[in-house]
This record gives sequence, C-alpha cells and structure tokens, in this order.
Amino acid sequence: MIQFLLKGILRDKSRSILPIIVVSIGVALTVVLSAYMKGAFGDLIDQNARFETGHVKIMTKAYAENKAQLPNDLALLEVDKLIESLDKDFPEMEWVNRIRFGGLIDVPDAQGESKGQGPAAGIAINLFDEKSSEAKRMNIESSIVKGGMPQKNGEAIIGNDFAEKLNLKIGDEITYFGTTMNGSMTFQNFIVSGTIRFGAAAMDRGAIVVDISDAQKMLDMENGTGELLGFSKLNIYDDEKVKQLADKFNQKYVDDLDEFAPIMLPLRAQNNLGEMIDYSSYMSSIFVFIFVFAMSIVLWNTGLLGGLRRYQEFGIRLALGEEKGMIYRRLILEAILIGVIGSIVGTLIGLGGAYYLQIVGIDISDYMDNSTMLMPSVLRAKVTPELFFIGFIPGLLAMVFGNMLSGLGIYKRETARLFKELEV
Amino acid sequence: MKNEAIISIQNVTKRFPVGDGEFTALKNINLEFQRGEFAGLVGPSGSGKTTLLNIIGSLDSPTEGDALVLGKNISELSHKESALLRNKHIGFIFQVYNLLPVYTVYENVEFALLLQNIPKVQRQKMVMEALEWVGLASMADKKPDKLSGGEGQRVAIARAMVKKPEIVIADEPSANLDAENTHAILKTMRELNENLGTTFLFSTHDEKVMGYLDRIVHLRDGAVEEDEIIKSKTTNQ
Ligand SMILES: Nc1ncnc2c1ncn2[C@@H]1O[C@H](COP(=O)(O)OP(=O)(O)OP(=O)(O)O)[C@@H](O)[C@H]1O
Ligand SMILES: [Mg+2]
Repeated sequence: MIQFLLKGILRDKSRSILPIIVVSIGVALTVVLSAYMKGAFGDLIDQNARFETGHVKIMTKAYAENKAQLPNDLALLEVDKLIESLDKDFPEMEWVNRIRFGGLIDVPDAQGESKGQGPAAGIAINLFDEKSSEAKRMNIESSIVKGGMPQKNGEAIIGNDFAEKLNLKIGDEITYFGTTMNGSMTFQNFIVSGTIRFGAAAMDRGAIVVDISDAQKMLDMENGTGELLGFSKLNIYDDEKVKQLADKFNQKYVDDLDEFAPIMLPLRAQNNLGEMIDYSSYMSSIFVFIFVFAMSIVLWNTGLLGGLRRYQEFGIRLALGEEKGMIYRRLILEAILIGVIGSIVGTLIGLGGAYYLQIVGIDISDYMDNSTMLMPSVLRAKVTPELFFIGFIPGLLAMVFGNMLSGLGIYKRETARLFKELEV
Repeated sequence: MKNEAIISIQNVTKRFPVGDGEFTALKNINLEFQRGEFAGLVGPSGSGKTTLLNIIGSLDSPTEGDALVLGKNISELSHKESALLRNKHIGFIFQVYNLLPVYTVYENVEFALLLQNIPKVQRQKMVMEALEWVGLASMADKKPDKLSGGEGQRVAIARAMVKKPEIVIADEPSANLDAENTHAILKTMRELNENLGTTFLFSTHDEKVMGYLDRIVHLRDGAVEEDEIIKSKTTNQ
C-alpha cells in the first residue's frame, strides 16, 4: 500500500511538487539558521573566553565589582600560592595571569617633546614563557600587522591604527603613563616591536600588549595580577561543569568578608554571556517552532486545495470499500512520505548553505565599529552532526500538521456527502 | 442460488435537509432483489434512483425503514462494517468512469484488491483475469487519459468485478457512451452476470440499457411507480 501511495505521490506532480518545495525551503532555512546560530554563538563565546573571560576568571571581590575601571589597586596578590592550590584542586584547568591597565601612551619626537598621545587599553600576558599558550590563545602572532612579537622586557606591541596615525615605526619608542597599584604615578618606556589589529573594535582601541613581568614591575604588582583566568585543558567550554567548578571554589570563601578575597566567575556570569548562551539554545527551538507554524499554514492550504482536487479520488476509494478513517490515515502517511522527501532535499540544500557560510562567513565588522561587545567580525556557520536531523523536525511536523488540518474536512464529512462529490 | 433475497428494502424513506426544511427523496419504498438478478431503476431525473442505489451500496442510510443487503441492516453498520461490506461484496460502476488518473489500468483494477490485502501473486492473476473479461488485457500499462470512453468504462467494470462481488451497482453506466460502446459493455456485464452469478443493479434513462434488463423498477418522485418483470430475457439483442 505504501508503494501504491508513493507511486501516486511521485506521478502526481501537482500534488507533491509544491509541498516538497515548501518543506525543502523551510527545512533548508532551519538547517542554515541552526548552523549559523551555532557557529556565531560558538565563536562569540570562544572569542570572549579567549580574550576576556576565560572559562572561569578569578578576581578579588572588589575588583570584580569595579571591573570596568580596571582597578589594579584591588588586584590579587600572592598569585603563585593561589595557582598552586588551584592546580591541586582543579587539575583539568590551566591558569593564567592577565593584567589589564588603562593610562596614556605618549609618543615623543626626536627632541623628547610629545608628538601625540592616546588612551591606553593595555593587556599584559605571559609572552616569554615557552610553555605559555597565551599569545596563541589571543591570536597575537596572527594579528600582527607589522613587526613581530616582543622578544625581551621593554618591548611592546601597539595598535596598528594608533601607530599609523602617529607615524610610528618598528623600533620607535613610546612612553606609557599610568598609576601603580598603590596609586602613585608611573611611566615606562617601551620599544615598539610590532603593530597589531585584532579585528574586534573592542580590542583594537588603544591596544598595547606587553609581557606580564613588565606590567607587574611598572605597576608595582610583584606576584600580583588583576585577573586569573582558567581554561579547560581540553579547551572545551562546558557550561554546567564550569558552573560547578566555580561553586566549589567560591564555597571556600563564602564567609570571607575580606574584599580582597578571591571570587571565581564562570564565563556565563561575565559580559552577559549567560543570557547569550541561554538565548542561543532557545533560538534554535524558536526558529524550528516558527518554521513549523508558518509551514504548517502554507501546507494546510496547499493540502486543502489538493484535497479538493482529490475528492473524486476519495469518493472512488470510499466506494471501493476503503474506510473514511483509513483514507485520512493514508493521507497523513502520504504527508509523512512527502515530508521525508522534502526534508531530505531541504537538509541537503541547507547543509550546502551551512557549509558555504562556514567557509565564507558574513562580515559584520561594519556594524560593530562602535560596539564595546567582544564580537568576532566575521560570523561563520558551523556544520555539526545534529544538522543532519534537525530539519526533519519542522519538515515532518509541518507537513503532518498541515495535512491533519486540511484532511479534517474529509474526516468530518459524511460518507454520502463525500460520495456526492463524484457526481459532478 | 436464485430466489434468495440478496437485497431487501422495507418501508424505506429518505429525507434530506434542505434549507430550513426537508426534501423527501424516497417515499416508503418496498423492494426485493434476488441473487443473480439483472435489474434496473428507471425514472426521470430527480426520481431518487441514485439515492436508492447509494443506500443499497451502504454509502448512505435510510431515514426510516430498513435496507437489508446480504442480510446486513445498512442503518446498523458502523463506518468500518459498511466499508468492509463494499470492499468485499459490492462493486460500483459510475456514470463517469472515475479511474484514478495517476495510476495505470492495471493499478486501478488492482487497488480494490490492495484494500483486501491479497498477496501480490494472486492479485496479479485476478487483475489480469478481470482485464480479460473486459478485453483490455493488452492495455494494462496504459494510463486512463490514453483510453477511449468505452475502454475507460470497461476498466471500471473490471475494477468492480475483480474481487468477484455479489452485487454490482451501476449508476447510469452508459450516460457518456455511444451506442456501440453501450452495447459492448452491457453484453460484457450480461455475460459476467450469467457466468459468475453476480447480481447487477442499474439506474438508467437509456433505452438501450433497458433492453438488456430482466426487470425494470420504475421510480417517480421517490416512489415505486411500477415493478416490471421482463420474462423473456436474452443475452444479445
Ligand atoms: N444530499 C442531498 N441533499 C439534498 N437533496 C438531495 C441530496 N441528494 C439528493 N437530493 C435530492 O433528492 C432527489 C433525488 O435525487 P437522486 O440523485 O436520487 O435522483 P436521480 O433519480 O438519481 O436523478 P438523476 O437521473 O438526475 O441522476 C433530487 O431532487 C435531489 O435534488
Ligand atoms: Mg442519479
């Protein structure tokens, strides 16, 4: 019987083509959008983790509260000891120091007079240790426009735009002005070893990258750090696991009223990323729901039209002794067959689209110029195994649902009335 | 086999709701048909022929009275039971030959057997046999739109006959056919009636069809006007 129905579907183009097209489009869109959401949110979270938040981040409670001001006077001290105990408690994680610092960059001319100035948004990371993966994690090397990595203390990388504006060359000297941890003025000369463009507006404005030891020295932060970031050694962000980890760590300090006591914030508790993560997982289901809804309505209507055309056929089948309920069920079975065909076609198209968006991506940097949010400038899709079946949900649901609605007319109609349609 | 009432219509009245009121399409009909009859309902348009055939075919049920078909009371059958009755025991032939356009001649005839879950090999045998009865075995793979009107109606006969039903209901089967084809299909049906003992029940306006009938029930305004038994029946007029 299925074979018989399938023959009918394949031969009666007007019955099958339109629904297959509708289902394919909906399924393809679902697949592409899911892939795109997955990719974009994944990149967003990954980028935030690498540049900003870590998978977890430890700060003093006071620093955490005033984080936006980069309050290095509230920095963590005795970091070595803390890391040692962290390594013991959480061997699956890697811990790295980062100091962020504000201030001013001054560029002197040959006479030592100021040639130009700009605000500094400094970041100090471990650049010199062979074992450190920080430079790689922050894409420093691949983001360098001119010159190269700092090789020794006293060298810095600065933002490429800033360097171009002030006509700075590799090997030129700049002076950093700022405040130490203890609140006194400090200045430090750096040789420009290279210029950098991260490609994210939030990172590029006033960028200056130095080694952590330089920052500790100039800011009087011996064995101290503004932020202590933890990354899973597998480099996989597991929202649930990280949350447990943070809870476990914070448990120890829960009664500590010292504002310099450390606090661990999971990624989701920083930069509104928690909302993003939740949003991203809801979004896919919302899309699927919307597609199911919209497609159902279209398919309901095509089903109604198709059903009208087929009243004669239903009449014949009734006369031949097929029960009304059976005709209805076989109509749904046909819908499932068409839904499967449409879903397969749509999934293939969608995967093609998703793959294209994974390779090419969509450049959003123009929209992000003034954003302070850390966003990748090119959003790419990500092809994952779930894409192979996710489209079948809207494809089948919409087709079956649409046909259940349109078929109700047949189900409700009196046998004799249905049969009357024969006598035209 | 003969002289056993296969269809028994007892005081059957059928009313249809029309607007606010009702329209009485059949008025207190009493009729019996014996197994193997070759009978027809004749009467002007609107006299209730189709209505009565639909009740006998269990596609509709009487408002009052009883219609017993093969011992079953039509008004008491569930959807399932009436479908089963049609499926197994009643074949239909309509005015327009109503083949499913996307299926071949073979598949159209086969459909009735698919509903009965008859195995493929047996199905094949039965379909080809039925197509031979109507002389269309060579057209098994054709689509209905490639057939002439007479051929189409013969496929419909094969479809009605393939399951060897006890009753065949033919509602104006010749309305769209020319004289030659009308004679051809009636001869075929007459032969099947004689060879297989199938009861045929027609409705018709057509003098040519009436010429083949053993019995003509004249209907007028929903009532039996005359029940005419034609004794001297011949198979080829
Ligand atoms: N479902 C219905 N609702 C209302 N009236 C109906 C319905 N079915 C039939 N009728 C009416 O009942 C009467 C008998 O109809 P029926 O179709 O049985 O006539 P008929 O003898 O077959 O006519 P024809 O020769 O034109 O086929 C007609 O007046 C028709 O309008
Ligand atoms: Mg009629």
